[in-house]
Amino acid sequence: MINRRTAIRQVMILAGGMALVPSLVKASGGPSIALRNLVLSGEEESLMASVAEIIIPKTQTPGARDLNLHLFVMKMVDDCYDEGSQQRFLRGLKVFSGIDAASLKELVVSVNFGKAVADEDAKYFYRVMKQQTINGYMNSKYVMTNLIVWELVPARYNGYFPVKS
Amino acid sequence: MAYLNIKGIKENTFDVIVVGSGIAGGWAAKEFTEKGLRTLVLERGRDVKHIRDYPTTNMYPYEFEHRGEPALSIRRENPIVSRCYAFREDAMHFFVKDGEHPYVQVKPFDWIRGYQVGGKSLLWARQTQRWSDFDFDGPVRDGFAIDWPIRYKDIAPWYSYVERFAGISGNRDGLAELPDGEFLPAYPLNAVEDHFKKSLLGKYGNRHVISARGAHISKAGKVHYDQGRAQCQNRRLCQRGCPFGGYFSSNASTLPWAERTGKLTLRPFSVVESVIYDDKLNKATGVRVVDTNTKTVTEYFARVVFVNAAAINTNLILLNSVSSRFPNGLGNDSGLLGKYVAFHNYSARISAEFDGLKQFTTDGRNPVGGGYIPRFRNLHKQETNFLRGYAAGFSAYRSSETDTSGIGEALKSALVTRRLGPWKVGSHMMGETIPKESNFVALDREKKDQWGMPLLKISVDYDDNDVKMKRDYIEQLSEMFVTAGFKNIHVNAASQSPGLDIHEMGGVRMGNDPKTSLLNKWNQLHHCRNVFVTDGACMTSTSTQNPSLTYMALTARAADYAVEAMRSGNI
Repeated sequence: MINRRTAIRQVMILAGGMALVPSLVKASGGPSIALRNLVLSGEEESLMASVAEIIIPKTQTPGARDLNLHLFVMKMVDDCYDEGSQQRFLRGLKVFSGIDAASLKELVVSVNFGKAVADEDAKYFYRVMKQQTINGYMNSKYVMTNLIVWELVPARYNGYFPVKS
Repeated sequence: MAYLNIKGIKENTFDVIVVGSGIAGGWAAKEFTEKGLRTLVLERGRDVKHIRDYPTTNMYPYEFEHRGEPALSIRRENPIVSRCYAFREDAMHFFVKDGEHPYVQVKPFDWIRGYQVGGKSLLWARQTQRWSDFDFDGPVRDGFAIDWPIRYKDIAPWYSYVERFAGISGNRDGLAELPDGEFLPAYPLNAVEDHFKKSLLGKYGNRHVISARGAHISKAGKVHYDQGRAQCQNRRLCQRGCPFGGYFSSNASTLPWAERTGKLTLRPFSVVESVIYDDKLNKATGVRVVDTNTKTVTEYFARVVFVNAAAINTNLILLNSVSSRFPNGLGNDSGLLGKYVAFHNYSARISAEFDGLKQFTTDGRNPVGGGYIPRFRNLHKQETNFLRGYAAGFSAYRSSETDTSGIGEALKSALVTRRLGPWKVGSHMMGETIPKESNFVALDREKKDQWGMPLLKISVDYDDNDVKMKRDYIEQLSEMFVTAGFKNIHVNAASQSPGLDIHEMGGVRMGNDPKTSLLNKWNQLHHCRNVFVTDGACMTSTSTQNPSLTYMALTARAADYAVEAMRSGNI
């Protein structure tokens, strides 16, 4: 059995060459939401869902998958990023595909802490993935109504509000 | 193109025509209808009814497709309006998209517009300060532009009149340079804004930080309830339109008030092509309107016409109103129509941090934003190498720090356990610019828009005085920040084009002498006495104060004069 770390490293090294992993993308359904610019397979969507869930996992409270945060990330990348960034995001995404769940988690965690030898596209993919997953989470109905309540009608202002120590 | 028949003339005849339904047009509508005059208000955009047409007003952040951020395709199609801070998913439907009404930029100019009933009164930043004689005396004392035909005493009662109705929050600060008004309670400064205020008084004496004065009902009274408005609920979502009518807009206030008199006819989708001038009668008889949906041209008639289409569009209409008497635009014997356009210099900001007063934070939201620093430069006498000066906004908030370095459960709990960080402070400049003949708008003789109107050429730029003033703002505010113990001072002097301040003024300026001005002291065209201009186009100089309150007061004053003149048969 190959050591998992070695496997990850191999994936990272192969990452630059997209030609090596075409069969993984082919022959799957399209994404579950309509996209204008991004060309994304159902498998890639599910990979994004997995990565988002690693970033914000389900605990006693809902996680990324429960809140469909990967769909929000897809929407943001599709509508608010330029073509170059979108292509870079997709190239980076492919680096994370084709490995089992445990390896994926280890890889994502390593990239998060800057430990994996990820190429620039992979780092870019992860940076966007994390930033927009957090954005989607913090701006989700669940968080805004249960954890950090956003008030539509504050009806007050106190400029000397005492801080509880 | 225009059709005329007797029946049409009768049906299309009113006592007064008001062109535009923004802050100035709304006030004109209120004043005339209240005094019993049948008033036609023409608005080039669609109707926006109070509350009913505020589609985003009660939406939560997660209900916006991109959490507020405009999609890249929209930003690419609309580079100009995208530079406006308020052009976001919650309010973009109230802004004119770049392609909807093109113009020619001789020099870069970000023309930010709101074509709908209510105009930009839905979107404004609601800052309301009176002018003083330091402002009205400015051109004569410092030798630029021309003398204003009015002084503070002429407009003071009208400031009071509009303030009582609109609802203006503020303190009676007792400053000669920023006269007190008819105030509702002020929104108080917060701990660090107060600290800054005290630090400055200790060192300078004449540099004041006061509670920003704003058009918010901080304490509702009968005059507000009568309008169907209630106390401001501190939402700070004003640009969406306020269901409480907590801030002043034409939609919440003056227009429904005018409507209740039964004397108002509001016609949206109406681009005014020109004011009709009768060479035999030597006066204006009405306006020519292009229906934006059908492109048909209709003429409307009235004894008096108020042109309040917003500063630059008012210039466009008058420039396009040509007749054998006025071949260069209505009332334009002086040849100055469209010239001496000016604006406010907003091109510098400064931010910093403060480590003290950590026992406090803020709770709720301050609808007027925080503090205001009235002009302190060259106030009593010339003391710098540039003319005039600047006011400044100042606000502070307690930052919160979130550790996002982790992943998984650790990240998840870190995200919802925010720690309070240092206070952050910020200021922006609002500089007076000097009106010059070389800053102008004019008609493009070749290009026309989809309604057959000539395109406007806009040629407006900063000058050396603006550059020096900006440098001084940066130096002085930096020094003031150091005095207050602020740290990590960061200056943002990134240039922005004129126009983005959304305080464009002039082109149809007031003055005593018909040879050097277009309008007299009652905002009447010198050479066509039944046409009035009371929006930003009438401004002889710009001062540093936010201009809207002055437009309201000038409008109410001019309408009162016009009604008297109509009664006495003078117009």
